[in-house]
Amino acid sequence: MAALKDVAIIGYAQARNERRAQATEVQFLFPVINEALEMSKIPRREIGFTCAGSCDYLSGQTFAFVMNLEAVGAWPPISESHVEMDGAWALYEAWVRLQHEDIDTALVFGSGKSSPGPPAEIFPLQMDPYTLTPLGLDPVSIAAIQGRALLDAGKVTERQMAEIAARSRRDAMKNPYAQVTGDFDVDELLAQPYIAAPLRMHDIPPISDGACAVVLATAEKAREVCERPAWIRGIDHRIEAHQPGMRDLTTSVSTRLAGDAAGARSAPIEVAELSATFTHQEPILCEALGLGDDVAINPSGGALAANPVMAVGLARIAEAAKQIVEGGHGRTVGHATSGMCLQQNLVCVLESD
Amino acid sequence: MTDTADTDTVQGDEPVTMMEYFMSLRYSDVVSPPVMRFRDALLEGRLIAQQCPICKLVYVPPKGYCPIDTIELDERNEIQLADRGTVTNFTVVTPVQYYGQKETEPFVRASILLDPPGGMLILQDVVDVPIDEVRPGMRVEAVWAPKDERDVDEIGNRSGSALDGSLRGFRPTGEPDTPADAFSDKVW
Amino acid sequence: MQCVLLGVVTELRATTHTIEFPYTRTLGPVIGPFLTGLRDRRILGIRAGDRVLVPPLEYDPENGNSLEPDFVEVGPAGTVTSWAWISKPTRKHPLDRPFAFALIKLDGADTALVHAVDTGSMDAVHTGLRVTARWRDERKGRIDDIECFVPEGDGT
Repeated sequence: MAALKDVAIIGYAQARNERRAQATEVQFLFPVINEALEMSKIPRREIGFTCAGSCDYLSGQTFAFVMNLEAVGAWPPISESHVEMDGAWALYEAWVRLQHEDIDTALVFGSGKSSPGPPAEIFPLQMDPYTLTPLGLDPVSIAAIQGRALLDAGKVTERQMAEIAARSRRDAMKNPYAQVTGDFDVDELLAQPYIAAPLRMHDIPPISDGACAVVLATAEKAREVCERPAWIRGIDHRIEAHQPGMRDLTTSVSTRLAGDAAGARSAPIEVAELSATFTHQEPILCEALGLGDDVAINPSGGALAANPVMAVGLARIAEAAKQIVEGGHGRTVGHATSGMCLQQNLVCVLESD
Repeated sequence: MTDTADTDTVQGDEPVTMMEYFMSLRYSDVVSPPVMRFRDALLEGRLIAQQCPICKLVYVPPKGYCPIDTIELDERNEIQLADRGTVTNFTVVTPVQYYGQKETEPFVRASILLDPPGGMLILQDVVDVPIDEVRPGMRVEAVWAPKDERDVDEIGNRSGSALDGSLRGFRPTGEPDTPADAFSDKVW
Repeated sequence: MQCVLLGVVTELRATTHTIEFPYTRTLGPVIGPFLTGLRDRRILGIRAGDRVLVPPLEYDPENGNSLEPDFVEVGPAGTVTSWAWISKPTRKHPLDRPFAFALIKLDGADTALVHAVDTGSMDAVHTGLRVTARWRDERKGRIDDIECFVPEGDGT
C-alpha cells in the first residue's frame, strides 16, 4: 500500500458562539468560511474539494445542509460532500479525499443552530427507536447515568467535576468565540441544585449556535502558502455499541483505539482539545488518550464554554491546530465525539515541522 | 408486588409485528435582520429585495449575501420591486391526502417574474382565473390583503415566497402576453 | 428578547413550525418477539455466545455475528447498575413526576436495560437497588408496557 500523503491544516475560523443567534446558519457561516479561506491564502475557486458537517434535525429544516452551500459559493459548480455528523468527520472525509493525486486543497466546515428546537426532544429521535426513543431518553439524562457510574467507580468526585467546569470557563475568558465564560467559585458551584443528579448546571454544556471552518492542503501546497502548517500526523475514528447497557460507560475504548491508531501515545502531547461535553467525560478521555497532568486540556474552554453541535468537534481540531500555528507548540491533539456518552470518537494528532 | 398469575394478563394470540411512533417537534426560529426588513415593507404594501452589485441578481426575500459572488449584502443593496409581472412557469397540484395536507381541490402554483428591476416569486397562487387558462407569458398583478388585515407573523427565514398573510396571490391584468423569448432564461 | 444591531435595538421575533410524522415500523424476528413478550408481561433476552443480551439484538455487538432467535426470559426483577435523578421530566419522559432513569441488569441478563425507576425521591434510589417491573394494565407491545420499575417489595 502506498504511503499516506502528508496533509496540513493551513487555515481556520470560528463564529462567535451565541445562545440564540439572530443571523441564520448560512448568514453566520458566511464570514467564517471567508476568514478561513483568507487565512489559508488559497483562492476560493482553487479549492479542490469541500465537505460539510451538519444536521438538518437541529434546525428542523429538510435540506438545510444544501442551503449552507450558499456560504461556500458553489458557482461554477464545485466538488463537495456532506456528512450528517460533526464537521470533524467532514475533515476526515476531506483528508481521505486528499490522498488522491488530483487535488491539493480542501475546505471543511461544521455548523449548527441548537437554539431553535428543544435538544432534549430532538436527540432521543436518533436513538434506538424501539427501546430508547419511546422513553424520551435525552442526552443530559444518559450523561448523568454515565457520571453516576464514574462516581461509583471512584474515578472522579463531584468536586473534581466542578473544578473542571470552573477551569474551563475561566480559560474561556481568553477565547473570543466562547459563550459561557467567567471566574466561578467551586464551592458556590457545588451549592447549586442538581439538574439531573449527579449533574448540576455547570456540568452540562450550553446550548449554542455556531460554526467552524478549516482549510486543508497537501504538503507541497501547504509549504507554498503557509509558514507554520499544523500537520495531521494521524487521524482515526472508532465506534462502540449503541445500547448504553452493553458498554462500559466509565472508559472510552473507542477513544483509546482511535488514539492509538492516530499515534496519540507515540510521543508526548502538549495540548489536548477534547470534546468533553460533560465535565465527567474529561477524565474518561484523558485516561483513554494517556494524557497526564502535564498536558494542557481545553485552553479554549472546550465544549463546556461553547457547544455548537455539529461544529464543536471540528472547533477542537481547529483550536489544537491554532496551538501549533500561532501558539508555538509542537504536538497537539483534537478530539470529536458523536452519539450517546462518547459512543463514537475521532482523534486527530497534529504536529509542527 | 408482581403478579405472575395469568388472570389479569392481556394476552393476544397474534404476535406483535409493528410499532407505531408519533414524532412531534416544535421549532422556534429567530427572524434574521434582512427578513425583518422585508416583513416591515410587506406591511406597507411594498416588496423589497437585495441586489448584488456584481452579478446584479435580485434576491427576494433578501438573504443578506450573494451566493454567487460570496459577498455580504445589506440595506445598501436594498431595492424596491414591482408588484406586477409575468407567469413564467406553473404547475397544477392535485392534492394527495397525506398527513398534514390541507388542500382538497387541484390548485395552481406559479413562478412570477416581476417587472424591472426584476426578482422572481415562486409557488404563488393565481386567482380570479380558471386553472386551465393559466399559462406562461400571462401578465399578472399582486393581490394584496387590505392594509389592516396584513399579517407577517408567519414569515420567517425560510418562508421563501410564501407571503399569503399579506400578498395573497396574483391575478391576470388582461394585458397581452409577454413573448416567451423575453423570459426564456428566467423560467424557474 | 432584544439585540443591538448596527446601533439600533430591535426586538427579536421568531416564527414557529412543527414537524410531525406518524411512523409505523416493522419489528422483525428479534424485536417482534421482544415486544410481544412485553405485551404478555414477559421480558425476553437473546443468547449471544454464553451471554444473554437485554434488550435483545439481531447481531452480537462484540463480533457482528447474526444471532439465532434463541430467547431467554429474564427478570422481572433486577439490580440498578447506575442511575440519574430527573428532577424536571420533559413531556417525552415516561413519568410526569421526578423519577430516576436507570440501567437495570435484570436477573438472568448479562447486559442492562434503560428504563425509569419510580422511587418518589432521590434518597430512595442507589446503585445496587433491587427493582421490579410495574406493568401497565393495557399493553400494546412497546417498551413502555413496563410503566416503570419500582423497588422490589413495594406494593404496585
